[in-house]
Amino acid sequence: MLSVTEVNALGERMSKPSDLVQGTLDLLLLKILALEPMNGYAVSLRLKQVSGDVLQVSDGSLYPALHKLEQEGWITAEWKSTENNRRAKFYSLTRLGKKHLEKESANWSRLSAAISNVVKLKEA
Amino acid sequence: MRPQHWFYTLPLRLRSLFHRNQVEQDLREELQFHLDQKTQEYVTSGLTLDEARRKARREFGGLEQSKENCRDARRVSYIQDLLQDLGFGVRILRKSPAFALVAILTLALGIGANTAIFSVIHGVLLRPLPFPKQDQLILLWEKDRDGTHSNTSWATFMDWNRLNHSFTQMAAVSFWSPTIVGAHDAETLIGFRVSSALFDLLGVKFERGRNFFPTEDVRGNNFVVILSYGFWQQRFGGDPAIVGKSVQLGSRAYTVVGVLPTDFPSVLSFDPRKPADIYTPLAYDATLPYACRDCRHLRAFARLRNGVPVTQAEAEMNQISANLFREYPTEYSASGVILTPLKDYLVGDVKTALWVLLGSVGFVLLIACVNVANLLLAWAARRQREVALRAALGARRARMLRQFVTESLLLSFLGGGFGLFLAWGGVALLQSVRLANLPRLQNVHIDAWTFAFTFGICLLTGLAFGLLPAFRASKLDLNEALKESGKSTAGRERHRLRSLLVFADMALALLLLTGAGLMMKSFVRLLEVKPGFDPSHTLTLTLSLWGPKSADAPAVAFFDQVLQKIQALPGVESAGIVSQLPLGGNLDMYGVHVEGKSLPNPEEDPSADRYSISPDYLRAMRIPLLRGRGFDERDVASSPWVALVNESMVHRFWPAEDPVGKRFRLGDTKGPWRTVVGVVGDVLHRGLDAPHTIQVYLPNTQFTDSLVILAVRTSNDPAALAAAVRSEIAALDPQVPVSAVATMDEVVSASVANQRFGALLFLLFGAIALVLTAVGIYGVISYGVAQRTHEIGIRLALGAGRREVLRMIVGEAMRPALLGAAVGLLAAFALTRLLTRLLYNVKPTDTPVFVAVLLLLVGVALLASYIPARRATCVDPTVALRYE
Repeated sequence: MLSVTEVNALGERMSKPSDLVQGTLDLLLLKILALEPMNGYAVSLRLKQVSGDVLQVSDGSLYPALHKLEQEGWITAEWKSTENNRRAKFYSLTRLGKKHLEKESANWSRLSAAISNVVKLKEA
Repeated sequence: MRPQHWFYTLPLRLRSLFHRNQVEQDLREELQFHLDQKTQEYVTSGLTLDEARRKARREFGGLEQSKENCRDARRVSYIQDLLQDLGFGVRILRKSPAFALVAILTLALGIGANTAIFSVIHGVLLRPLPFPKQDQLILLWEKDRDGTHSNTSWATFMDWNRLNHSFTQMAAVSFWSPTIVGAHDAETLIGFRVSSALFDLLGVKFERGRNFFPTEDVRGNNFVVILSYGFWQQRFGGDPAIVGKSVQLGSRAYTVVGVLPTDFPSVLSFDPRKPADIYTPLAYDATLPYACRDCRHLRAFARLRNGVPVTQAEAEMNQISANLFREYPTEYSASGVILTPLKDYLVGDVKTALWVLLGSVGFVLLIACVNVANLLLAWAARRQREVALRAALGARRARMLRQFVTESLLLSFLGGGFGLFLAWGGVALLQSVRLANLPRLQNVHIDAWTFAFTFGICLLTGLAFGLLPAFRASKLDLNEALKESGKSTAGRERHRLRSLLVFADMALALLLLTGAGLMMKSFVRLLEVKPGFDPSHTLTLTLSLWGPKSADAPAVAFFDQVLQKIQALPGVESAGIVSQLPLGGNLDMYGVHVEGKSLPNPEEDPSADRYSISPDYLRAMRIPLLRGRGFDERDVASSPWVALVNESMVHRFWPAEDPVGKRFRLGDTKGPWRTVVGVVGDVLHRGLDAPHTIQVYLPNTQFTDSLVILAVRTSNDPAALAAAVRSEIAALDPQVPVSAVATMDEVVSASVANQRFGALLFLLFGAIALVLTAVGIYGVISYGVAQRTHEIGIRLALGAGRREVLRMIVGEAMRPALLGAAVGLLAAFALTRLLTRLLYNVKPTDTPVFVAVLLLLVGVALLASYIPARRATCVDPTVALRYE
């Protein structure tokens, strides 16, 4: 099972394999790979860098998630050499993935805008 | 899924499936790269290489779990597991070839027999007729006073057709046997005269040409024919330009207007072995003498209007019939119309028999399942340590259950594969040797339906016999099983299971063998029936005259010539002519109106089978003359009209009087009187299992048929005489067609072909069941005894007598067997009732059969338990104690 560890406001760690989080991770990964093709290790670094400590994805969960995206046909993989001449598996977005990313980010914007509107409502 | 999606993912899936090692290698390398990079990172930040490596591993989390999750993401692991399980199954079966062979053969027998019977049922009963909306096709019959159905007449048919609102169309059909005349030969055909509406009503799409026009269904315009596909192929070589050509039938030329399609079933044929060759318009009108209201020789077909249920049509027809009966009170014996759906008419006779056969062959399969389940149990016990080892190494129970079920499915599908071959052979045999007179037999194929059925029962049987042992095997106490002598612990439960199997085997076998016993006894009884004539040493053949020769006087003269020539042949004892051969399938009935005993409504007088014979026919068939005289050369067309009657007729009309000298009229109430001159024995005409009927014999000089059967009694082999008889007839006239050449023994045998077929199959299934049961019980008990060798050794060493131990073992084995027999008996009592319609002169609860089957099976069970028990007690106790 894929599990994304999230740190909540109280600083407790909780495991949440819910659809929302799952979809969110897919979205993050697709977005990261949309910038440039990269290998799994680079993805993990970038993930940490962009989301800070709020979303911690364990390395063990990252690869199944990548493989799942590959099976969905959204990303494709290629073995290439790194700068220091090691063979690594590089993932890049497919056309299908680009379309999916566009659709999902639009969804996400709508959803988060709606939620923040609700949250900002003044209590009577 | 969208095609784009497959464009990306299909290669991946295929790669996962077929390049498994490569994919695994990639996965390892990918994760290793990650760990290396991470380690590198920590080393750079100042940790030692060792520390860095450990930290990277720790942060990664469960490496193996992650890998497994990646594999899951590839979503082909089910297939891979299956392939792995299958591979393992094949390996393990190859390690126990004897076990595998016995199991597969047992299953092949069970599944093969089921597949064969199913394919017959599918072809004969289930496959729809090639007609649109076949449920609307109905046959209409007049109802007799005794509730039986009879043909109808032209006058009645016309009234039905005119008055009803339930049917879109009606068509009438009568039998026709024209002679097709070639340059040097002639052949009698099986044909029908049909209303021009018939083929429209059925919804036939013609192979060539067209249907009859209504204008051709008129006397004088009716010299047109439609050919069956088979006859077109066989006689005209499938001539593509046949339509418009003319054929010579008797002394007239007919024009071919159409050819029926190849799948047109012979819906009109009286005999499933001989489909009809040719059709011509009925072309009746009310002025014809045989169009009268009580000339009942037509079969009526009709198609229901859309949305009209059969019950409604039946109610309307009954109303019409009641009105007709009121209007013509002396021309019907009762009012009422019987409606038979066409499908029932075609296959109704064999329906019960076929379903019963499928039921009993199902029991054979159950027995096979029980046996294989038992084999698997024993096998599972031997594999206990393997299972325990796998469990200890972390295999989950569900995964092991899957492994076991995969193995049993492997067995059942291997068995099913062989079974399919058996079924294919069986069906081919059935079709080539014509074991039975099944209608629509040409529709029986091993096809996609059969495959689906076989697939289904393989799956079911695999689960049926595999699940129980699988549950048993995968549930076990690890500690006990891994210990060297762990086998005795689960003993009691396993003993209970073995008892259950013995019980089931016995109950099923008893049920099946009782059915087989009843069918056999019924068939033997049937063969013991005296038909009233002596079929041995008798040759029969059909002669049919046409043209000027077929008129009464020339026909009699020609038959006399033929008889003279044949009587002169060496070895011939006597030869005679008859209009309808007993058990030959043809029938001619007339109402008998006895002087002084005729009822006010002559239609209520009984009907008699009518035979026109030459004087020597009775001698040729050895039908006994009981009183008075037979016919001789004095009985000619101009002499007083005479008749012979059978015993049943005497019982019916003159139980206390001398019938000789009594008079009756035949058919027509205004016809000439015929005087009884003698009494002959009863002859079974409709079948060996049919009741006796009243019968009347007339001299063929006073009632002449142009289509007759010649019966020749010889002192030698009757079949060897056929060629000589044929050439005598050809010498007299080469254009007189000779057909249906057969010995009388063959005719009798053909008349019970279906009963023989049923009895044979039951015997076969019973034999299979008996062997399987014997082997099964023997296997169960000998395995149980082998398991207890140790215990037996102890008992013997402690001083128990061999006889007591023997009695104990046999007793324990016999308890479930006897219980099974008891339950089987009860089930048999309940179920053999279904056979009632198939049994002749045997009650479905026939005591001798039940007792014999019970004794046989109990004997088999005793023997099957005694042999292993004796072997066990004869062992030296010291050897037994060491036995492991």
